[in-house]
Amino acid sequence: MEANKSVLVIGGGIAGMQASLDLADRGLKVFLLEKTPSIGGRMAQLDKTFPTMDCSICILAPKMIECLRHPNITLLTYCEVQDVSGSAGNFTVKVLKKPRFIDEEKCTGCGECAQYCPIEVPNEFDMGIGIRKAIYVPLPQAVPLKYTIDEENCIKCRLCQRTCKAEAVDFDQKPETINLNVGAIIVATGFDMFDARKRREYGYGRYRNVLISLEFERLVSASGPTGGHIVRLSDGRVPRRIAFIQCVGSRSLKGGVTFCSSACCVYATKEAILIREHDPECEVYIFYNELKIFGKGFQEFVTRARDEWGVKYIRALPGEVVEDPKTHDLTMWYEDTTENVTKNMKVDLVVLCPALIPTVANKELASILGLDLDEYGFFECKDPLFKPIDTNVPGIFICGYSQGPKDIPESVAQASGAAARAAEVMALAASREAQ
Amino acid sequence: MKRVEEETPRIGVFICHCGINIGGIVNVPEVVEYAKTLAGVVYAEDNLYTCSSVGISKIKEGIAKHNLNRVIVASCTPRTHEPLFRGACEEAGVNKYLFEMANIRDQCSWAHMHEPEKATEKAKDLVRMAVAKSRLLKSLEEPEIDVTPSALVIGGGISGMTTALCLAGQGFKVYIVEKEPELGGMLRHLYKLYPTMQDASERLNHIVNSVKSDKGIEVLTSTVVKQVKGFIGNFEVTVQKANGGTANFGVGTIIVATGAPIFEPVGMYGYGEYDNVITQLQLEQLLKDGQLKKPKSVIMIQCVGAREKEGRTYCSRICCMTAIKNAMLIKDLYPDTDVHILFRQLQTYGEHYEEHYRTAQDKGVKFIKYLQEKPPEVISGKNGKLTVNVHHALLDEELKFGSDLVVLSTPLIQHEDAKKLSQILKVPLGSDGFFFEAHVKLRPIDFATDGIYVCGTAHSPKDTPESVSQALGVASRAAIPMALKRLRTEAITAVVNENLCSGCGTCLKLCPYGAIEKDEKGVARVTEVVCKGCGVCAATCPERAIEMRHFTSEQVMAQALAALGRAVK
Amino acid sequence: MSSEPRIVAFLCNWCSYAGADLAGTSRIRYPPNIRIIRVMCSGRVDPAFIFRAFETGADGVLVGGCHPGDCHYVSGNLKAEKRMENTKKLLKLLGLGPERLRLEWISAAEGEKFAQVVTDFTGTLRRIGPNPLKAKTNVNNPIDVEAVVSEALKKTNVQYCVECGKCSGSCPVSRVDNSFSPRRVVERFLLGFEDKVISGKDLWTCLSCYQCSERCPSDVRFPEFVRACRSIAPRDMLEETCAHRGIPMTLSRIMINPKIKQDRMGWLPERAQISKRGDLLYFVGCLPYLDILFEDFNLELIKTPQSVVKILNKVGIKPAMLPNEKCCGHDLLWTGDLENFEKLAKLNVANIKATGAKRVVTSCPECYRTIKKDYAEFVGELDFEVLHMSELLSELVDKDELKFEVYPERKVVYHDSCRLGRQMGVYEPPRKVISSLPGTQLVEMERNRENALCCGVNAWLSCNKYHKEIQMDRLKEAKATGADLLVTTCPKCRIHWKCVTSEKLPINPDEITMEMRDLSVLVAEAMNLA
Repeated sequence: MEANKSVLVIGGGIAGMQASLDLADRGLKVFLLEKTPSIGGRMAQLDKTFPTMDCSICILAPKMIECLRHPNITLLTYCEVQDVSGSAGNFTVKVLKKPRFIDEEKCTGCGECAQYCPIEVPNEFDMGIGIRKAIYVPLPQAVPLKYTIDEENCIKCRLCQRTCKAEAVDFDQKPETINLNVGAIIVATGFDMFDARKRREYGYGRYRNVLISLEFERLVSASGPTGGHIVRLSDGRVPRRIAFIQCVGSRSLKGGVTFCSSACCVYATKEAILIREHDPECEVYIFYNELKIFGKGFQEFVTRARDEWGVKYIRALPGEVVEDPKTHDLTMWYEDTTENVTKNMKVDLVVLCPALIPTVANKELASILGLDLDEYGFFECKDPLFKPIDTNVPGIFICGYSQGPKDIPESVAQASGAAARAAEVMALAASREAQ
Repeated sequence: MKRVEEETPRIGVFICHCGINIGGIVNVPEVVEYAKTLAGVVYAEDNLYTCSSVGISKIKEGIAKHNLNRVIVASCTPRTHEPLFRGACEEAGVNKYLFEMANIRDQCSWAHMHEPEKATEKAKDLVRMAVAKSRLLKSLEEPEIDVTPSALVIGGGISGMTTALCLAGQGFKVYIVEKEPELGGMLRHLYKLYPTMQDASERLNHIVNSVKSDKGIEVLTSTVVKQVKGFIGNFEVTVQKANGGTANFGVGTIIVATGAPIFEPVGMYGYGEYDNVITQLQLEQLLKDGQLKKPKSVIMIQCVGAREKEGRTYCSRICCMTAIKNAMLIKDLYPDTDVHILFRQLQTYGEHYEEHYRTAQDKGVKFIKYLQEKPPEVISGKNGKLTVNVHHALLDEELKFGSDLVVLSTPLIQHEDAKKLSQILKVPLGSDGFFFEAHVKLRPIDFATDGIYVCGTAHSPKDTPESVSQALGVASRAAIPMALKRLRTEAITAVVNENLCSGCGTCLKLCPYGAIEKDEKGVARVTEVVCKGCGVCAATCPERAIEMRHFTSEQVMAQALAALGRAVK
Repeated sequence: MSSEPRIVAFLCNWCSYAGADLAGTSRIRYPPNIRIIRVMCSGRVDPAFIFRAFETGADGVLVGGCHPGDCHYVSGNLKAEKRMENTKKLLKLLGLGPERLRLEWISAAEGEKFAQVVTDFTGTLRRIGPNPLKAKTNVNNPIDVEAVVSEALKKTNVQYCVECGKCSGSCPVSRVDNSFSPRRVVERFLLGFEDKVISGKDLWTCLSCYQCSERCPSDVRFPEFVRACRSIAPRDMLEETCAHRGIPMTLSRIMINPKIKQDRMGWLPERAQISKRGDLLYFVGCLPYLDILFEDFNLELIKTPQSVVKILNKVGIKPAMLPNEKCCGHDLLWTGDLENFEKLAKLNVANIKATGAKRVVTSCPECYRTIKKDYAEFVGELDFEVLHMSELLSELVDKDELKFEVYPERKVVYHDSCRLGRQMGVYEPPRKVISSLPGTQLVEMERNRENALCCGVNAWLSCNKYHKEIQMDRLKEAKATGADLLVTTCPKCRIHWKCVTSEKLPINPDEITMEMRDLSVLVAEAMNLA
């Protein structure tokens, strides 16, 4: 395959998929690489998206399927980049394909195997709230819909192998190396969540009813571990009062990151509306410092949440969250600026909005690609004003959250931008070659 | 592809639960059973997520197993998923125009969440309506058209120039039409740019020179777009130059990068009345020209004419950072000057802006939050000195500041002539006045109209790197049709039954695109690639000689009668 | 059907359908009474859909389009606006009420507005009550179509055809459209190829102008044969060949429902003297509806009944009138809808009887023939005399009761419309009336009285290029007489001629454009009553 006609996209979230589709639609070949067994990324974990309240998987699934079906896109899931050499127009990439222990050609995704697997582990896709088996798909709409055996937890009982009618289970599968020759590389590795346990005052990790936002998102999702019912994890009770705490670990000079994750104020608002929709009797409070409502439609979204849905905004970050060990109810202390008094509030459930940090694995990837990283793990762009998508390595481009905090529409637009730059660089390389 | 007109319809109905979005309200199994009773339906099933790869496979399997020649999916709105399901049908050998959807989510379960029985009845009606139309559907072929590999960029600011350079870099010809006498847009008026504090002019000149020297880009300054005819791949553009002359050229795609001016807050906080109440833009000019005399106390007021209860309800995103930037510049010039920024919600988002906030704090800039209900007051005193009263939200106290310079941070607004441009291009403006994209989340820089795109502040307020990202994004979106060189166009076009046409010419007069002419025989003829499928002709033709494919009178009527419980035939 | 109002909505893809979706994604609740049909543009919405929806029992119809100026197709919404205005006027006439039709501009961003509109509209519909057409009409003694048809075929004398060809030689359609031959149609039928005849297009091309049967030596009533076949023919051919998308017929059918209370007397001149009972009844016909449907033609169709009432009042007659007069059913009869025709006939006859009228006068030739001849056939012997306005005027001229005040010098050419002339034999009375107007000279076309050329369209069928040629032929003929005015008594003739002269046709408009006048209006003008 001519190098200057194919692109490697690292990261199968919404940004990676958008960049891949743009390139594929115009006739270029794309290798879409994703380290987990399925593409979809964070957006697949969301229930609804702000400010339109679109069902997330509903608008995402067609893109995922498009990536699967597109004749110009080759999905490389459960893969990682091991080595990159060469230069713009002609990169050589060594990819490690991790063994699923399933023959992808034979697996039909029927799920019989998982019925029989005796091992249950916390489901990463559900942020550990739900369970999955050692043989699993991360989500029901996984693309590709192929099962994977989690080597670490598998006890090799081989029940799955005996059950599988397609004879797809292959415990002898070995890691594979794939060599690619591409003209450009796009990095779209997305975000992880700041470890909220580091903010000990909020009790995350110790108190059952203190959740982080992505966990809550899974609770409220129709396809999540509780089928969309908001319940407390301590006792299964329906909460009557829920509090959101913003900026956990972000905008922080110590014990966190200094930047603003740019999406939490609005996604908390979204989750608050979802709660009020599901249960109009449940009180919802959002404790914030500055409400970041700068995006298109954000202010109007928050106004609606406040005026029509009765979400209450309190400008105070709680000092601490304390748990009643018997009831597992939570008490928060905060300063009420309207009454000028410090008071406490008893709530049934606390949702923390931790900082969204660039994917931890970026560090390793940066060294493989030769890219500069800043102190937080964002890839450095060539020029923060006029070249936000280019990097210090010509031919390698960044987009999405890996470039900087942003929401979905900005990720999508920037991903298209990376596709444009990749195409431009390859057009240049092609014309040089022709000369 | 099967030719199905001669066959009896064999309709397959696939009803989606969409998790609990539909299934939690509508009794989906009941609707499935109902669908089976409808004439023409030979197969019906339900799926958890029809749009998932499982669901798509089930559609294809259903087609093959039951020899279906019509497919209906009852799920969400066709406006998102129709292409996906159509694709599945085509892959299974069923022409995509034999596919129909029933919107039982966005227009049923979601709107009637607290009336599940009625929602179920409505869902049954909607399925029956879809089946009624489905029986009458015909397979259609999409004509292919050539795509002119050139683009029109309307607006020569940073967004327009960035997209032009990238498109030219990919080998396409680009026309930049700029109404001002020079390129550069808003950046010409700015002094320093955050977060790097680089000089705007310096960087701008560099880019302008790149544009001017690029052989693939034709720059037309002092020029406006007068008329646009045609469709994706084949737009005919007429522009008007300052001297009154016009020029015509053809392009394949159009990009709107018209930017946004700032709101002039006449009458607010003394603006227009007092000389020392100015806007941030005017402040930039003063700083740029070195004309700022040392003020004793500068008060900056945020959200002037923005985030209002009605009208300009939006946040203009960049004003907080602009204020902080200018505050820091003032402090660098005159460290003794007091600078206060009166804000409502401080928008220091993203990776670097929090740092700037802190740097500003380090430099001694003070920040005071005020509430929307209790805005500051600017009162004029002796010798032009101003007094600013502000209710401090946190302290719950009235504060008074003497000031010799009040700077108002006002929002970016849409150009006055944007309405005209939106009508010329037939693209919409949102309720905030800015151009309205095809889909807020997943198609943020496309318009619903094929071949036209938007980027920069024409879309919504944003700063330079954000505009550049969108501009590059648009360069990819527009490149797709141009790189392919040929496109399949819609098959939903008008068609004339020559035997019925009496040549009365009514349709010719009505067509907004001039897509209909009379041929040698005096009978109407439709130029399909120009026809946009609106159907005005079909609704007026006295003889019903001209019909709209896929929305024929028979089909629409069948849906209407089915809505009322009457089956046709 | 339930008592909850049912709304059928036609929403445009780009704005209002998206607005409806947004209402759903924003979880804004609205009543589930609405059923949405997606169209590409509000300009696609044909009033025929709307009338059919009401006929079938919709309580309300909502049409959604983009805000003016924002139409994705430039101006489709403005066209929709004009059409909806016109449709509302017709709904008012019908007594259904214009409030049942709503046209709203809803953008893709206005989910709230959409929900509000639906909620509002549903409330309005609950308040004004269900569509009267929802109640099923009593199907007492439904007509036995097969029996009627075989009877009719016997009466038409087709079996006496000797294949002489006089019909095809006389038929105006045959002359322009070579594929149509009355003789061959009859022959096919007689040979046993009924199916070909009944399912064919030829069946719907016949103008029923009676030129052929007027001359046929075997007295074959070809138009009535065609009419009988139409009532057993498949309806899709009718759908295909019927002009104006069947709207006039839909209106006629709607009037059958006894719950319909029309509001159709608004045209009465000030100080008009009419009554609920009387010796003489004036049967207006569909002029109030046609006046609105064809308002763009500026034919002032409504002046005809106004003139009639003024003239009658002037000579001291206070005519009885039916506030709930139904369409005579002419078009339904001639397109083969015998069942509904019979219902209309029965209703009208009963209503006329209730007024005690001994004489019924009508200004429309089609109503005249239908009531006088066809009602008797289908409903039974009539208790009242039926006369045409020209006959009544002629009587008044004889009695010298018409006082003329205005005497313009002019030449008038009179056209015998098929229903009044050839079919009912009323040739002289209109001529007598015209000749009696001082200053007016009556001139004749070459083809007049029983040889008059049909205006070219019947019951809105087959208005194609061949029929246009017939129309232009007749107009050229009228023009060639040098007359200033073309006078006739049939509103349909005038509509069809006006239609052809306002079209882009391959002929110099000067050759065919003539000022036209209805006979009653002509008389009223001369009496200075207009």
